[in-house]
Amino acid sequence: MPEKHYHVCPRNCYDTCSIISTTVNGVLVSIEGNPAHDYTKGKLCPKAMNDIQKVYNPSRIRYPMRQRQRFSGNWERMSWDEALDMIAQKIIDSKKHDGNTLSLALNKYSGNFGALHNAMEWLFSGMGPTTRAVGSPCWSAGVDAQTYDFGKFFCSEPREMGHAKLLWLWGVNPAWTAVHQMPIIFDAMDRGSKVICFDTYLSDTAARSHRFIQVKPGTDGLLALAMCKVLCEENLMDDKLYDYTLGLVEFIDYLTNSIDLTEAAEITGVKAEIIRELAIEYGQTCPACIWVGFGLQRYTNGGQTLRAIDALGALAGHIGEKGGGVHYGHFETWKFAGAGLPEQQNRQLNINRFAREALACDKPPLRVLWLSGRNPLAQDADLKHWHRLIQQLELIVINDLFLTKSAQAADIFLPATTHYEHWDLNSSYWHYWVGINEPAINPVGEAKSDLEIAWNLSAKLNRFEKGSCSFPTSGSERETALKQLGPDMLRMLGLNTPEEILDRPIKAKFPPTAWENHEFVTPSKRYEFQSSRALAAGLPALPVFEPALLPSKETPLRLLTPHHSMMINSQSYQDALSDYYDLYINPRLLENYGLKIGETAEIWNEYASLQVKVKVDMSLPEDVVIIYQQAIEQRAQARNALLNSNLSDMGDVAAGGKGLAINETFVSLRKLTPSERSF
Amino acid sequence: MLKQIGFILDANRCLGCGACLKACQINHNLPPTLTWRTIRKIEDESSDGKRRFYLSSACNHCANPECMRVCPSGAYSKRRDGIVVHNSSKCMGCKSCVASCPFSVPKIHPETGKATKCLLCYDRLDLGMTPYCVKACPTRALLCQEIHSISLDQLIRLTAPLPGLRLTNPSVYYKEPRRLNY
Repeated sequence: MPEKHYHVCPRNCYDTCSIISTTVNGVLVSIEGNPAHDYTKGKLCPKAMNDIQKVYNPSRIRYPMRQRQRFSGNWERMSWDEALDMIAQKIIDSKKHDGNTLSLALNKYSGNFGALHNAMEWLFSGMGPTTRAVGSPCWSAGVDAQTYDFGKFFCSEPREMGHAKLLWLWGVNPAWTAVHQMPIIFDAMDRGSKVICFDTYLSDTAARSHRFIQVKPGTDGLLALAMCKVLCEENLMDDKLYDYTLGLVEFIDYLTNSIDLTEAAEITGVKAEIIRELAIEYGQTCPACIWVGFGLQRYTNGGQTLRAIDALGALAGHIGEKGGGVHYGHFETWKFAGAGLPEQQNRQLNINRFAREALACDKPPLRVLWLSGRNPLAQDADLKHWHRLIQQLELIVINDLFLTKSAQAADIFLPATTHYEHWDLNSSYWHYWVGINEPAINPVGEAKSDLEIAWNLSAKLNRFEKGSCSFPTSGSERETALKQLGPDMLRMLGLNTPEEILDRPIKAKFPPTAWENHEFVTPSKRYEFQSSRALAAGLPALPVFEPALLPSKETPLRLLTPHHSMMINSQSYQDALSDYYDLYINPRLLENYGLKIGETAEIWNEYASLQVKVKVDMSLPEDVVIIYQQAIEQRAQARNALLNSNLSDMGDVAAGGKGLAINETFVSLRKLTPSERSF
Repeated sequence: MLKQIGFILDANRCLGCGACLKACQINHNLPPTLTWRTIRKIEDESSDGKRRFYLSSACNHCANPECMRVCPSGAYSKRRDGIVVHNSSKCMGCKSCVASCPFSVPKIHPETGKATKCLLCYDRLDLGMTPYCVKACPTRALLCQEIHSISLDQLIRLTAPLPGLRLTNPSVYYKEPRRLNY
């Protein structure tokens, strides 16, 4: 008899789809979207459609392995018992040697966003104070910006966007990265709403919009401030602002004295009359909604950019408006109960400068690194530091599904389960749904869930040295998942008991409009144009324009590396893999560099060089080039070799650390002689 | 007028995401190298503005199917609802249809050596369900309808100006993509 099970797509993606699987005789045979979910509505993206192929993929690692020599590819199968013995022994030895557990490091992020994947953190917390990667490579600057402005980071229910008469999609490409939002936008367009897309290049979302405003990279904040100034000049500000905002006078003073439309037009690349026209339309249309993507805050001025856009929304009175607001993301439904372990005085390293900061650690230096849900050798900046760190480390453990680029550096590989093989609980950072993830099949091969790995290692540690890990040594995965729904989460979901989530995914009972009634949670309880918390963090109190980094004479091209529709960071769902990266450039650059379409060229900077095939995108500015995500880091030099860990301006207050200013990577381009070309 | 079921694609809603293609491939157990659907990216520019859009297409289930006309073994037939069906048990793999279809729809299955193409999930339609591709489309860009029953004033045939269009009269319509103010 076919059996059905609930799942939640655990990828680092806006949509976090509700999935129903069908198994026959313990084999996963099909998956489909859950029609009872009002956001994903029974539809899946092609990435998730590949899941069965992924679960049973022959290249999936099915048992623990050890690598005799790092980067040798010389892997040998070992038993779980041997693997855990080796790891536990190394942990105990390091602790003995140093007198503490700080030499043990965990670097974990978003390979799987399920709540039970926090088991790795719980395991480490059970061992004592350890070294941790903190913060996020993704959204940190924006999270902090909205925390300064609204008091916390929250946004309206995404379907509310459908009520907007005017919709601004700013630096966001949902046609590729949040396909379930697109029918909501299209339906609004069918009802007569106007959609304008702001971006640095003509994305597929821009191509589906009514109008495209091309903004020079890193200048979006100035564009927003210039529009703020127009709202003041045209008297299009919400007349109740004095009732619910703080620092309005100071902000208007700043706009009056420091923002000049002609200068803003020059810097942003958007003509002054268009800035005025856009601002007036935004000021006069209700409801008007802005959706800000993550890309525009991946700059050294990224937080200020978001604060400026929030301020524009506030000034026009669109914050708290049904169908209005400034959408960015939220974290309200992620208040999982945890494992009840004591807070440890961990040594915290910014995830974006992990290798750099880890190398600077002594007393004790890092000895053991555990990578979980991470692929830093294909994703992180500072690769040279990473390779130095790898040389220093005495043991590297990775748990994953496949032999990733980062697994090449590991000593021990532990096979992980997929979301069809374990219990979990998942929330979205976009919509308000929370869902249980049930196991539909037994783990493939000897794969284990993160939670089971954590229990088993805790058992080993305690066998070697009683009391060396306070994390439980066994338990029920189902009960642990349900326990994540503590009193806060139950109230939020309107549930009496955690078991009720087993029946169906549940949507949190939030009012659909964020900041309805202008009840903000800032220190002043008002919308804060002027933030004392920002000031205390060493930032300007007001949203101001601070220029982003600009290309230099040596490296005149800004390299953007946007998300691809068939990739989630380094997780690939592309059918055919190429052996090289495609570099998209403005056709004029072809002439300038004497290149032909399809020709192999080289881009380089002080960190690395990379051979690429040249392609043309008419919409690109002449100083911007693009390489989309491609999972070819195992075949070619990874593109992240070109990245330096410039940090964004914000992230320390609410996001755990500053973000990565990845869009401030600059390169030079060079034609190659035939003998220099590797392909 | 005869009944004719066909695909309608709203090019303003198609993201080129490939959900249709993948759903078709998975549910019809097609090998990784074979798809019944194709997605093309089209860009053009005129004085009215720029357009960039995607066209997802499969078999056009033509009114006068050339594949059926040329097939020496009678493997093709047209149902009363207009769906062009290929019967692989009659197919000899001679490739006449592959060569003659103006839209390059029939393909040779790498495992059977016989021709294969989209059958508009007629078995699902007979049970009152929608084709897999239509069901999978996240934006409702792809529809399947009786095409004579709909008003065609806003629909166009982007397959033009192929001579085959006049010849075979494909049963597929597109909603024309708007131009971008840019």
